[in-house]
Amino acid sequence: MAANPGNKIRNAKLVLLGDVGTGKSSLVLRFVKGQFVEFQESTIGAAFFSQTLAVNDETVKFEIWDTAGQERYHSLAPMYYRGAAAAIVVYDITNAASFTRAKKWVQELQAQGNPNTIMALAGNKADMIEARQVPAEEARTYAQENGLFFMETSAKTAINVNDVFHEIAKRLLQGQQAQNTPAGMVLNQRPAERMVSSSSCCS
Amino acid sequence: MGSNTPPSRAALEPFATLDPAALAGLPVSSPLTKLLLVDLTLHDADELEVRTRDIALVDGVKALAWVGDSVFVGTASGYSLFSTTNAQGGDIFTLPESSRPPRVKPLSGGDEVMLLVDNVGVVVDRSGHPVGSSFVFNTTPDCIAEVYPYVVVAGDSKVDVYRRKNGAHLQAIPFARPGTGGLIVASEDAGIGSDVVVIATAYKVFCYRKVSAVEQIKALLRRKSYAEAISLLQEFEADGEISNDMISFVHAQLGFLLFFDLRFEDAVNHFLLSETMQPAEIFPFIMRDPNRWSDLVPRKRYWGLHAPPKPLEEVIDDGLVTLQQALFLKKAGVDTVVDDDFLSNPPSRADLLEVAIRNIIRYLCASREKDLSSSEMEGVDTLLMYLYRALNLVDDMEKLASSQNSCVVEELESLLDDSGHLRTLAFLYGSKGMCSKSLGIWRILARNYSTGLWKDHAILPETDSLETSVGKMSGEEIAAVEASKILQASSDQDLVLEHLGWVADIDQELATAILTSEMREKQLSPEKVVAAIDPEKVGIHQRYLQWLIEEQECDEPHYHTSYALSLSRSAMDAVRLGSNNEERNNKEFDSDMQFIYLLRERLQFFLQSSDLYDPEEVLYVISESELWLEKAILYRKMGQENIVLQILALKLEDSEAAEQYCAEIGRDDAYIQLLDLYLDPKNGKGPMFTAAVRLLHNHGESLDPIQVLERLSADMPLQLASDTILRMLRARVHHHRQGQIVHNLSRATNLDARLTRLEERSRHVQLTDESICDSCRARLGTKLFVMYPDDSVVCYRCYRNQGDSASPHGRNFRKGGIFKQSWLVSR
Ligand SMILES: Nc1nc2c(ncn2[C@@H]2O[C@H](COP(=O)(O)OP(=O)(O)OP(=O)(O)O)[C@@H](O)[C@H]2O)c(=O)[nH]1
Ligand SMILES: [Mg+2]
Repeated sequence: MAANPGNKIRNAKLVLLGDVGTGKSSLVLRFVKGQFVEFQESTIGAAFFSQTLAVNDETVKFEIWDTAGQERYHSLAPMYYRGAAAAIVVYDITNAASFTRAKKWVQELQAQGNPNTIMALAGNKADMIEARQVPAEEARTYAQENGLFFMETSAKTAINVNDVFHEIAKRLLQGQQAQNTPAGMVLNQRPAERMVSSSSCCS
Repeated sequence: MGSNTPPSRAALEPFATLDPAALAGLPVSSPLTKLLLVDLTLHDADELEVRTRDIALVDGVKALAWVGDSVFVGTASGYSLFSTTNAQGGDIFTLPESSRPPRVKPLSGGDEVMLLVDNVGVVVDRSGHPVGSSFVFNTTPDCIAEVYPYVVVAGDSKVDVYRRKNGAHLQAIPFARPGTGGLIVASEDAGIGSDVVVIATAYKVFCYRKVSAVEQIKALLRRKSYAEAISLLQEFEADGEISNDMISFVHAQLGFLLFFDLRFEDAVNHFLLSETMQPAEIFPFIMRDPNRWSDLVPRKRYWGLHAPPKPLEEVIDDGLVTLQQALFLKKAGVDTVVDDDFLSNPPSRADLLEVAIRNIIRYLCASREKDLSSSEMEGVDTLLMYLYRALNLVDDMEKLASSQNSCVVEELESLLDDSGHLRTLAFLYGSKGMCSKSLGIWRILARNYSTGLWKDHAILPETDSLETSVGKMSGEEIAAVEASKILQASSDQDLVLEHLGWVADIDQELATAILTSEMREKQLSPEKVVAAIDPEKVGIHQRYLQWLIEEQECDEPHYHTSYALSLSRSAMDAVRLGSNNEERNNKEFDSDMQFIYLLRERLQFFLQSSDLYDPEEVLYVISESELWLEKAILYRKMGQENIVLQILALKLEDSEAAEQYCAEIGRDDAYIQLLDLYLDPKNGKGPMFTAAVRLLHNHGESLDPIQVLERLSADMPLQLASDTILRMLRARVHHHRQGQIVHNLSRATNLDARLTRLEERSRHVQLTDESICDSCRARLGTKLFVMYPDDSVVCYRCYRNQGDSASPHGRNFRKGGIFKQSWLVSR
């Protein structure tokens, strides 16, 4: 658990949360494969991806959990955000309800998650401004108040997609210098050493 | 993950069926009962284990799995994990409302566990952390088994096969008769290393075994399910389940299949992915058997799924027939395996042929980079040329022909000739060292171009490539340039001289470059060359001789004479032309002057520097001309001092040059001769008193006054005569005085130096008890000592050893003298 010296790869568990159809899978697909599909199937359970990102002379390997937005799989979410080093809460700027849902996710993370988790708020589908329902200012203010960093993204046009991940990687590396504690979170009543074996920053 | 396309793979195949008769004695329903029993034993275990008391806290255990230290428990509300070491536990996740009962299935020999939520399988490791994407089964599983690398799921009257690694749905095995009771699948417990899965229905047990990667791909290829075969291949490749050789084998097989399906681009892409495929394997597509390379073609049949390679045209014709049939069948509503794109948009034969050739070209080009046997390399290059020609890709043909290549000339000669690709043929001959043939073609081309036989638009595509590199050039010029490239390197004298003429007619520069090239191994005979040069082409002749003399340092006198004569004639011509043409503007005039000046400079320089030419012969040629300086040089070579002086002093009136010449002669009588000329120029010219006075002024001191006086004529104006004499005498006195001054100055310096030396010698030095010799480090005490100019002090003994010239500080006064500011001469 010692601080990783330069050039070492740091593994980081990252989870995407948000309402159904906000574009979580699309954001991941854009980031990992540089692609976008108009008819992205709704995620069931969760999908896993990994992608490395170089920041200066360090490398972050994201282990990305793209969760399902469908309410039916909500109960699975804690398993995926448990021990996450970062979380991206996604809403759809053309859908006010999805923003409300995003706030709920933030609340849940604040209550249940690890206090060290880096949280990002992504207002996706920024390419569809004509259908905007959530003003960017409102989201930004909310993000500031809750200590999240905020970006409007578009998986379709790729705007800000890499930037969100890049910013997370940067904050991870900065945070890692500040505090060397593992980002792993101990589950209730769960013996601690279990969690350590696969928590997010061990390699 | 749940793909909508129906899976068509055969990852499992049946190999045995046990019907009740075969199972005589075995209770048919035993697997079912066993499973129920297992469920019961779990409760038993709960009671047996002391630690299970904690587990009992959980309401209604419905599923349970025990791997290593972890016990996974499924209840109606969700999944939890308990440790057998400390009986502590926690929730993994809760189940959504009204979901199917929990089900836990250990996978990979217990390293991981699958937890089901309806039809979704969430895989977690022994600590309950998720691993990989969720499985999405297309039915809610009744029973799950693992035969690595597959997960086999029974439910809804069928058995589905999924890929363990990514959850892809691979195969569905229907067991009709729904309602006849549940299906059960089972494999060896460990799941790894086992090949067999058993599927039990209410009345029969079916045994299935894993189909090897290769067999699966083969089956897909047989059905022409290319895309699936490829993705399967990629999966196996990523998992390392298939050897590299096999991967190459499959790509080659795929390539051939696609080729016969007229999908040439894809075919070649796969050929290129095959590392073991040999380029010769596709030769039969290009050239009909038997041919020069027939024996080279390996008889590889791969899986025998395609016809033996045959010429491209036939492949296309047959393919088109198949396509026609498929179209017909399709109209009749029969399914075919022919490419949909082709069916909806049938290609033309010509298009197909072109696409095929372009792609084979791509393959052959890539093959050129490989390490091939020389005969295979020959095949590749020759067939490449053959295909370029088929598409009339002139640029590519010429590029290939003019670069390092392995083309077999005999195979291409008549072909290229017939199709009029003469330039390509010329390049090819050139690159193969068949210079004479190559040159023959270039000569024909040059002639054709110049006679306008080939209209410009007709040659445009051919010149395109060259134009960019050499600027705008006519075809004729290009022919000459190419020929000269060959000729410059050729040592074949007859060949060079044979072609020199026509190249020279097009470009004299090129002809000169050919003659003066230093690339050839054996130099040409100057005699033959000089004889061969067209006497009209003075420039070539001159430049050749210049090169022979200046670069090759040839010392044959007659070449020097020829060169001198040639330059002289040119100079005379230039001068004559320059003076004839009156009506010219200043600019032209200037450039003419410049040209004449340079030419004469070259001539003068040569006449002066060479001692090998015959000056009389040259003199004879220029005798009538105005090339006076040249004449002076020649007379000088011949030792005709007086004539030289006459020319310099009287003709050119360059008294400076004349005096200079006198100085070179170095005898006093030369000045007197010059004075004579000044005072009596003859030929009706009056005496040149000014020049004479100048001469006396400059060189008076070396002239005997008596002789000078004798030469002053009686009719010389007294004023001038007195002036002359006065100057001469004054010059002598002045010379004498100058000498005196120099003498006195030297003396003063000498005195100064002596004074300084004296000062230097009378320096004081203070010695104490501590003073030591700088050399032997002994104390000086009262010993005799010596001080060097660099202030080092040594005892007398050391001085004797060391001598005057080197101080103990390592300074050598002979090599680097010492110099002090105070020694400067003050005046
Ligand atoms: N215009 C636009 N459409 C987008 C963008 N991102 C996603 N979409 C579309 O929105 C739809 C839903 O996208 P998904 O990526 O499946 O959304 P999701 O958040 O993963 O949904 P669940 O998996 O059901 O939770 C798809 O049809 C996408 O094509 C975007 O930035 N701009
Ligand atoms: Mg999704």
